[in-house]
Amino acid sequence: MVSEKLYLKGDKLLNILDYDFKSIKNALRMGRKETIQKIKDSELKGRGGAAFPTGLKWQLASEVEGEEKFLVCNADEGEPGTFKDRYLLEERPLKVLEGIMLAAFAIGADKAYIYIRGEYTRAIEVFTEIIEAARKNKILDSKIFDSNFKLEIKLVRGAGAYVCGDETSLLNSIEGKRGRSRIKPPYPIQEGLFSQPTVVNNVESLCCAAEVLNPDSEEFANLGIEGSRGTKLLCLSGDLNKPGLYEVEFGKITLQEIIYDLAGGIKAGENLKFVIPGGISTALITAKDLDFPYSYQAFEKRGSSLGSGAVIAVSKKHDLLDLMLNVSRFYMDETCGTCFPCREGNRQINKILKEFKNSGQKIDAELISDIGNTIRLAARCGLGQSSLNFISSVIENYGQELKIGGKIYA
Amino acid sequence: MPKARSLFYQDSLLEKLHEVQSTYGYIPETEIKELAEKYQLPRANIYGVISFYSMFYTEPTGKYIIRICDSISCHLNQSESVLKAVKSYLNLENHQTTKDKKFTLEVVECLGHCGEGPVMMVNNKIYTKIDGNKALEILGGCI
Repeated sequence: MVSEKLYLKGDKLLNILDYDFKSIKNALRMGRKETIQKIKDSELKGRGGAAFPTGLKWQLASEVEGEEKFLVCNADEGEPGTFKDRYLLEERPLKVLEGIMLAAFAIGADKAYIYIRGEYTRAIEVFTEIIEAARKNKILDSKIFDSNFKLEIKLVRGAGAYVCGDETSLLNSIEGKRGRSRIKPPYPIQEGLFSQPTVVNNVESLCCAAEVLNPDSEEFANLGIEGSRGTKLLCLSGDLNKPGLYEVEFGKITLQEIIYDLAGGIKAGENLKFVIPGGISTALITAKDLDFPYSYQAFEKRGSSLGSGAVIAVSKKHDLLDLMLNVSRFYMDETCGTCFPCREGNRQINKILKEFKNSGQKIDAELISDIGNTIRLAARCGLGQSSLNFISSVIENYGQELKIGGKIYA
Repeated sequence: MPKARSLFYQDSLLEKLHEVQSTYGYIPETEIKELAEKYQLPRANIYGVISFYSMFYTEPTGKYIIRICDSISCHLNQSESVLKAVKSYLNLENHQTTKDKKFTLEVVECLGHCGEGPVMMVNNKIYTKIDGNKALEILGGCI
């Protein structure tokens, strides 16, 4: 029987007096360099979807000089199927706060933002109270735990734009602009918020960092397998008997076990058709290919990604074209419109699929593939680049069933 | 004070827009003028920002904003039937407001309760595992 690992997940923890802040105290004792080294040694990768090594990001930012330096916690969780950051903000906000403090200390920032999507009203309430309580208890502002470390945190609410989950769009949004992505380079580490060196970290990544630095959970950094360390929060949804939030150790559980043991299999006696492994920006994994350990590299090998950890199970009873239209509408509505291949491409894909649905006339998979490749090459943010991953993977695997003709190439 | 630091201490325009909207229920022209002066931006810029974000309105909305998620996880769990029931009960299409200004309907993307779908949000309150009947019951409770 497979079991969960409980590090990030746990009992509701809202009272600041019940929390010991061991990780930040540990870091303050060790100093910035050693703190960053610990994170590098832990091989922690960003949990928001892009999987960039957190330690490296911190190191690069710590070496940059700026008039100011900022740490930004990205809590603009919007990838359909994902709800782990909401859980952490609502039930484990003190870990999030500690993660923010750690990252800011490590990179040498004394100002931080947390950007929470506007729809997460409960999370906003909880975190606002946490910041107030921390200030009242002298855990923020200056002389934190009797050290020279100081930190001010501001909360900014998003206002309904998926694309602000992209780090450069998020920075524009905090600056009070339309949430359009920026051209990279310069990367935020060089020139981010208000043109100053900035690190943007996902909520779960920051909580993982707090585990790595916590003397009580020293083993956390050694969990998992090479290349995929620690645990991952999984958001299980779709046609499952026991959907919900689970925490698993990397490399020690297969996707098969996740679906059939953890989540109790497919509901109402239906059969599984495929799994979307990391939110709708990722390519599907078919039901017969689930028997591999959950890790970054295993998904990469299959041309997909574990993305944000949103595992969506889809049974055979659904109309594939209907699901493709649903995903396509999402990207058509949520593209920021800056890069026209993403803006117009996603609109055209939606049009093609709609026409196919209404007329039943054969459509050209090659055309869809061409549009997909154009968007992948020309969109400047990750959200645009990955917008056709799911739809392309449906056509690749089920093109015949859909009677979509033509050649597909990735 | 260096520029970046003073910008940190200034109210973020996004937060300011949220404040104005929670006072009036929408962002009126007069406030846009004031914001334009405060931030020394053309009014068109402020409008540009407002129109980018789906949660901001420049016209009065209904007393209750009904947001129904139709992203993939909710969609797999029949969010369409919820939508159909609500649309026909309120006689509204997406983005419309009832004549009595009681309800505004928004079909939205993921609200982050994907394991408990279908999901509906009424103003700030989330309702999970709903169906058509439950949705109508909830609307009936809005007075």
